[in-house]
Order: sequence, then structure tokens, then C-alpha cells
Amino acid sequence: MKKLGLFLLPLLLFLLVSVFLLQGLFSDPTARQSSLLNRPVPEFSLADVMDDSVRYGPEVFAGEVTLLNVWGTWCVTCAYELPFLTGLREQGVRIVGLYYEQDLDPDFGAKSVSQIRQDIHKTLGQWGNPYAFNIFDQQRSLSLDLGVSGAPETFLIDAEGKIRLHHIGDVNERVWQEKFLPVYEQVSDNVAALKESGE
Amino acid sequence: MRWYAGLLLILSLSPSLQAVQEVYEFDKPAQREVFQRLSENLRCPKCQNQNIADSNALVSQDMKRKVYELIKKGYSEQQVIDYMKQRYGDFVYYQPPLNPLTLMLWMGPVLFMGLVLVVLIRRRKTQEKGFDKAMLAKAEKWLEDDK
Amino acid sequence: MLAELGHFSLVLALLMAILLAIYPLWGAQRGNAALMATARPLALGTFLFTAFSYFCLSWAFFENDFSVAYVAHNSNTLLPWYYRLTAVWGGHEGSFLLWVLIFSVWTVAVALFSRSIPQEILSRVLGVLGLVGVGFYLYMLLASNPFERLLPFFPVDGRDLNPLLQDFGMIIHPPLLYMGYVGFSVVFAFAIAALIAGRLDSTWARWSRPWTLAAWVFLTLGIALGSWWAYKELGWGGWWFWDPVENASFMPWLVGTALLHSLAVTEKRKVFKSWTVLLAISAFCLSLLGTFLVRSGILVSVHSFASDPTRGLFILALLMLVIGGSLLLYALRAPQLRSIGRYQLLSREMMLIGNNILLSAATLVVLLGTLLPLVHKELGLGSISIGAPFFDQMFVYLVVPFVFLLAMGPLSRWKQQSLSALRSQVLQALLISIGAALLLSLGTDPFSYMATLGLLLSLLIVVTTVQEIRQRLAGDGEVLVQLKKLTPSHWGMVLGHLGFAVMIIGIAMVTSFSIERDVRMSPGDSIDLAGYTFRLDGVKPLQGPNYTGHVAIMDIYQNGEKYSHVEAEKRFYTVQRSVMTEAAIDVGVTRDLYVALGEQLNNGAWALRVYVKPFIRWIWAGALLMAIGGCLSLSDKRYRLKKRAHDPVSATSERVQEAC
Repeated sequence: MKKLGLFLLPLLLFLLVSVFLLQGLFSDPTARQSSLLNRPVPEFSLADVMDDSVRYGPEVFAGEVTLLNVWGTWCVTCAYELPFLTGLREQGVRIVGLYYEQDLDPDFGAKSVSQIRQDIHKTLGQWGNPYAFNIFDQQRSLSLDLGVSGAPETFLIDAEGKIRLHHIGDVNERVWQEKFLPVYEQVSDNVAALKESGE
Repeated sequence: MRWYAGLLLILSLSPSLQAVQEVYEFDKPAQREVFQRLSENLRCPKCQNQNIADSNALVSQDMKRKVYELIKKGYSEQQVIDYMKQRYGDFVYYQPPLNPLTLMLWMGPVLFMGLVLVVLIRRRKTQEKGFDKAMLAKAEKWLEDDK
Repeated sequence: MLAELGHFSLVLALLMAILLAIYPLWGAQRGNAALMATARPLALGTFLFTAFSYFCLSWAFFENDFSVAYVAHNSNTLLPWYYRLTAVWGGHEGSFLLWVLIFSVWTVAVALFSRSIPQEILSRVLGVLGLVGVGFYLYMLLASNPFERLLPFFPVDGRDLNPLLQDFGMIIHPPLLYMGYVGFSVVFAFAIAALIAGRLDSTWARWSRPWTLAAWVFLTLGIALGSWWAYKELGWGGWWFWDPVENASFMPWLVGTALLHSLAVTEKRKVFKSWTVLLAISAFCLSLLGTFLVRSGILVSVHSFASDPTRGLFILALLMLVIGGSLLLYALRAPQLRSIGRYQLLSREMMLIGNNILLSAATLVVLLGTLLPLVHKELGLGSISIGAPFFDQMFVYLVVPFVFLLAMGPLSRWKQQSLSALRSQVLQALLISIGAALLLSLGTDPFSYMATLGLLLSLLIVVTTVQEIRQRLAGDGEVLVQLKKLTPSHWGMVLGHLGFAVMIIGIAMVTSFSIERDVRMSPGDSIDLAGYTFRLDGVKPLQGPNYTGHVAIMDIYQNGEKYSHVEAEKRFYTVQRSVMTEAAIDVGVTRDLYVALGEQLNNGAWALRVYVKPFIRWIWAGALLMAIGGCLSLSDKRYRLKKRAHDPVSATSERVQEAC
């Protein structure tokens, strides 16, 4: 019998591997956990996309649960999620845009800022405007600090300015219900509780 | 000797004066080496499976530029890796981190080789005992005939 | 209409495969000669129906029949006719059809070229192949049918073939690779047939050897071609990336290489039987696993086809049946195997098994490195990446002992090798190689330890190979006459080993001494690199049949004189909307000069990448040498078996086994 055990080893190893293969079939190979989870939003000081004189820093996330949505007018999927996000805003969710421009490459520099503003007006006019305001990440430096790999991506930031969720891809009804809502409700309760105890 | 001459020709002539602008210019060749190694070993987070050197994705360009900036600022190779891992996770570097599970990567093959060697040596011994001399001689003869 | 015929033909092929899986196996169990005799015609039938089915799909591509969904997805009227024919395997369904076609080719080859093998064994082998075939035909018909129609509304034009695949290298790479992958099914079938029969005398090893060699040669060429294609087509001058898909083809190759050597020992010395059987099973199982990994999309890779969990599930179930079943059979039957040969610790047997262990360990490194990121993530530990730094490090550790054993193996005798004789030979070889490697390395700037190590290992193989041939010629008589006495299979081994030495040089040089520059150039600019001056003459627009783009015209000067003219293209495939590079390469024995065209910058300049890749051709030349070595061994007369009326050896050795 001892001998049989040795010869069974390849079979057992294969069975172990196939358990993981089976599991792997049902999970998204590109999904990844953010390494910034439960950490405060990194330091930044960036202008409003529409007005250079208005500047924002991490303090804009204090006191209120916020969705930070990375987007650009060049991005087709972003336009696709705008109506859904606008719906969320109407339900009272605070959404801040992080404007991520692809055509503003230091090497290529194809688009001017005024052109971008025009495009934004047009896109938001067409699909709805979910944003309280838009932070202009001109060098995509904040995006890099946030571990953004492209657009659209969405962060859920709690009232203390900590990142609680990082979603890659568009936000739709299913993603909102399954992924965002549980976390959103939890952090909102915290805010409510804080407010109550404060009063 | 021709190939050796060719080898010398290529390798002894170090790159000379540049007539054109490099995309990433370095004062020291050692920095460029670090830069090239890093951009080959950092993974593009957007792409299927590509390093940032080969990928044309926007995020790869941004990361490459960041790596360049950090190296120019005097960051060491490890510091740049840590900087990127802090933002994009362990995923971003092609060398896996060491933890109880990934230890398997190194120990698995070693254990396997050890196991096979032990089995091999033990079987060789038991086999010697298992046969009587006459039979072994016969087997040897068959083997000789078979050649 | 033809598409329906093709579909029907595939159903008939399935029926044939089902019969092939039943009758001959049953006949062999019952000793019924009539049932066993059905094996050959059934194998032929499977092949003919599959081939007709394949022809029908090719015809649909050739005729631009976009009512066939698969054609509409993978072809286009603008596609040149030769790419329309190769587009047959440009997507999931068609590449599976190619897979089963090649599978049936191997099956029919076994049926035709194994007249010397006893009917009972042949029936079992073909039966096992039929069994495996049934699974794959079922998969095609149920989950991945290439003949599905888009009716009544079909597109006027197709979505075009993935531009990555529109290249000469891609015309032959997949068929070669599949010939290799699927070729291991024959050895697998031989092993399983022997396990079912409960008889693993070493004749099965002799019968398996030529099939293993043939599959291995195809796989070697297929992988080398894939590497060459990636180098040329992907535009970053790399020749191997440790991508899961590359790994998937590399694992069967490593095991196949181990199997080649282990079969030799089992045939000649009748030892390591259970090990050899395990390798024979593993080679094919790893090929199947590779297919699964590529097709299911569970691993993130540049090459993977679109994923679909139902298909993945189907293939996984097939895998469980084939791999799980064969490993179970192995676990039940292998303990009964006894080896009768004796050997000392210092003997050729030990050297060969040593290298077998190292090759298997290397396979394990690749397997773990490919699958662990998946396991890591599924266990909730987060995403990790395993790539070049890890694999390179592990392979450097493994290759050093490997080369030493490889060098000593051919010098050693079977059974027992005297230590002193071997020691003096190896010391001599080592001294020569160290001296020569250092001498060669001193000329390099900068000095590189890795390159020196590579040179040393490579020279060690060359010197010991020469020693071994001299040892063989130690007898009297003229050298030429003596050289003629060496068998083709011996020359095959020599070439195989030398090919490996050549490859090591290529790898060591290209990793240590490649030079790379990212530059911005305007027409008229030039850059000096490694003694060459690359001058950009201009960038012109480009118009191809199904793409537009730009071509950079460059002249390369050496010592002020014009040396070469190259053109680097950047293509935009209009239908698939994707950009591809066609690198400009000046090929040379000691170096390649490689230029890839990048983006156009805002001031009219262009981004370009310029590389000098020393000795990169040696990598593929080494692979080619290995493959030629394989062919030489294959041509050896000993494999063209005359029908032996009675094989006393195997019969008697079986009796010994039974007696034990």
C-alpha cells in the first residue's frame, strides 16, 4: 500500500490543480484588489477642469461619502456609464470626477485645454452630468498615485477620506448592487452614527 | 575565428556619441541599465500580459515616465519597485513576493528532486535484494542479446 | 451547402471515433481477430471524414462565405487568399478543427506505419486514440461548432483575421506546434495500451521511440518558430517572454525531451519503466493542459483566445477524464512494474535519470510559475505576477548541473563507469572550456559573468562531444571508415547536444550584451550604436491590401560606408482597428540590427527603437540543429522494424517479470 501511495501522487496533484482551474473558470482573470484599500487618498493639489483658479486637495473628500470616478471624453465606456451615474447623483450620491485625458501626452500633446473643456460640455450635455465637480489630472499624477490603470475606474471614498473600494471598468446596475451598495451603506451608516453621536 | 572577431567588434565598441535625442536620457550608463531592467520587469496593469517597456498603453507610458523621474531623483532599483508596488500592488512586478505560498515556487522543485532521488536509491537497493544471482545473470544475458 | 456537408462529415468522424474506441479494444480483450481488424479501417475513416470537414471549412473561407459565423468573425474579402486559408485556425473553433485533423493524421499514421506491431497491441493503441478522439469530436460538435450559420441575416463582409496572425511565421507555426502537441498522443496511447494490457515489456519503449522523436521534432520547430515570429512581429526584440501560452508549449517539450532519453534507457536497459510510463502520460497530459489554459481564458496572456466558461468547463471535464483516468490507471498498474537491469551509481543510467529529474524539475518550475498566480488569487491572497526574473533565475540554477550531466552521460558506460577514467576526461574538458571561455570573455566589454558561464557550459558540451566521438573511434582503421560506422541515431544525439550548446551561446550573449535605445528621430537624423550608424532617410505612407500605415526608410553605415538598407513598418489594420509593427531587421551571424517604428511625435519626428542583438540567431539555429538531430535519429534503420516472427527477448523478460 505504501508503494501505491507514491504512484497515486501524480493523480492527487492533478486533482488539486483542477480544483483551482475550476475555480479560475468562474473568476475574472483581470480583477485585482487595490493596494490602496483602507488608506487615505494620497496628497494632491489639482485644478478644476473648468477653472484653473479653483484648486482641490484631499480635504474635498472629508465629511462626505464620495464616489471618485476616473473618466475622459475620449473613453467610450465612460460615456456609456454616465447616464447610470447621473441617476445615482439624483438619488443623492456624491460623485466627483477625476478627469483623465488621453490626448494630453507630454510627448504628443494633441489637444488644447479649451478643446477639452468644449468636449466635456458636449459629452455631459448629451449623456448627463453626474459630477459635483471635476478634478483635472493633467499629468495623470494623482491617477498614478491611486493605481489607476485606465478609464473608467471608480473609487468609493468614506467620510474620513479613506479609499474603501476600487472598481476597474464601468459602473452599471449590477456592479452597483453587488459591489458598491453593501460598502456604500456600511460607510453611510457610519457617517449617520457619527453625526448622531456628535449632536 | 570569424565569429570571435565579430563578437569583439560588437562588444568592445561601446555606444558612441548620440546624434539624436533619446526619449529617456541618462547621465550615467548604470542608470540607463536600471531603467531598462525595471521597464522590462514591471508589468503593465492595463494590458493582457506585457511589461511596460513593450506596451503602448497610456498607463505604461506614464509608469515609464515615472520610473525615469524617480531614477533621475536618485531612487534605487528597489525603491522604484516599492514605489510602484505601493500603488499597483505586488502584481506590478514580475518577481513574486516571498510568502508561505510562493515559497512553493522555489521549494517545490527542490523537494521533488529530493523525493525522486530518495525513491530511486531505495528502489535500487531493494531490487538488488529481490533477485537471485542466477536470475540476474540470465537477465544480463538477455540484455546483451538484445543489443 | 458545403458547410452543412462539413458539419455532417464531422458527425461521421465522431461515429467512426466511437466505433474505434469500442471494437478494437473489445476485440483485444476478447482475443477476437475480426473485431481487432476493424481498427485500421476505422482509423482511416476518422481521418478521411475529418479531412473532408476541414476542407469544407477552408472552402468557406476561400469563397468568403460570411453566412458561416466563424468565417465572418475571422476573415474578410480584403484578406489575401493565403491568409484566408490559414485563417481557418485563426480563432477558437477552427483551431480545434485543425487540432482534431492533426490528431486523426497521427492516428492514421500509427495505423499505416505499424505493420510490424502485433495486432492486439495496435488495436489497443488505436482504441485509446479513438477514446481520446471521441471527447474532442464531441466538444467540437456540442460546444464549438465551426460550421454554425448566421442565417437569415449575415454580414456582407467579415471582421477580418487578427493582424497578429497575418504573417508567414503564423502560417506554419500553429500546425507545427499542434503536430508536436498532438504527436505525444501516440506515445500516450502506447503507454495506456500497455497499462491496460498489463504488459509493459520494453518493446513498447522501442515502438514508442520513433513516435516520440517525431512529435518532439515538430514541437521543437513549432516553439522555435513561435519565438522567431514574436521577435519579428511584436516589435520589442524579445524572443521569449514566459507568457502562459509559451509556457504551455514549453512544458510538453521539457517532458518530451526527458521522455526521449528515458525511453532509450528503458529500451536498452529495461530500467526506470514506471518513470518512463509516467513521462509518456505526462507529455500528452501537459499538452492537453496547455490547450485548456489557452482556450479557457483563465490565465491572462497576450495570446489567449476569447474566453467562454461553458467551453472551459467542457474542456476541463475532458481533461479530468483523460488525465485523471490515465493517472489513475497508472497508479493502479505501475506498482507491478519491475525493472530487471542492474546499474551502479556511476553509470550512464544514473546520468540519464539525473537529467530526467532536472528536466522534470524544470517542468515543475514552469508549471508552478504558470499556475501559482491563479492559486494565489483564488485563495484570496491577492494578485501576483511571475515572469522573467523568477524563471531566468531558476533556469540558470538548473542548467548548470544539467549541462554537467549532459556532458558526462555520453562519455559513461551503461551499468558501471570507472570513476578515474571519467574524472580525467571531464577534468580535461573542464580545463579546456574554462580556459577558452575566459579567453573569449576577456575580449568583451563589459565583462559579464553570465555570458562567461554560458560560454563555459556551451564549450563543455562541445569538448565532451568531441571526446565522446574520439572514444568511439578508439579502434583501429581509418578515421573516415570509423566515422561511417557511427549510426544515424548516434549522430542525432551529437547534433541534438551541439544544438543545445549553440542555443546556450545565443541565450547567454543576447541576454548579456543586447543594446537598446529609445530615440526620437527626424528624417536625416542618425544614431551611432555598437559601431553602426543608423540614419533615418524618411518616413513614407504605406498602403497594403487590408491595412494602411507608415514605413521608415533607414540606411545603416559602418565605418562611413553604407552597409545595409532596412525598412521598418507600422501598420494599421483598418477592419480590426489595431496597430502592428513590422520590425526592420538586418540579419547577421554575430548580431541582428533591429529597428522598430513607434509613434509620430508632434514636431514631425518619430519615436524609434533601435536594438543590437548579438548572437540571437544562434538560439533558433540551436533549435534547428536539435530538430535535425531528431530527424537523423528517426532515420535510423533500427526503427524501421521488420516484422519479427518471434521476439524472444520481450517474451522471456515478461516471463521474468511474472515470475518475480
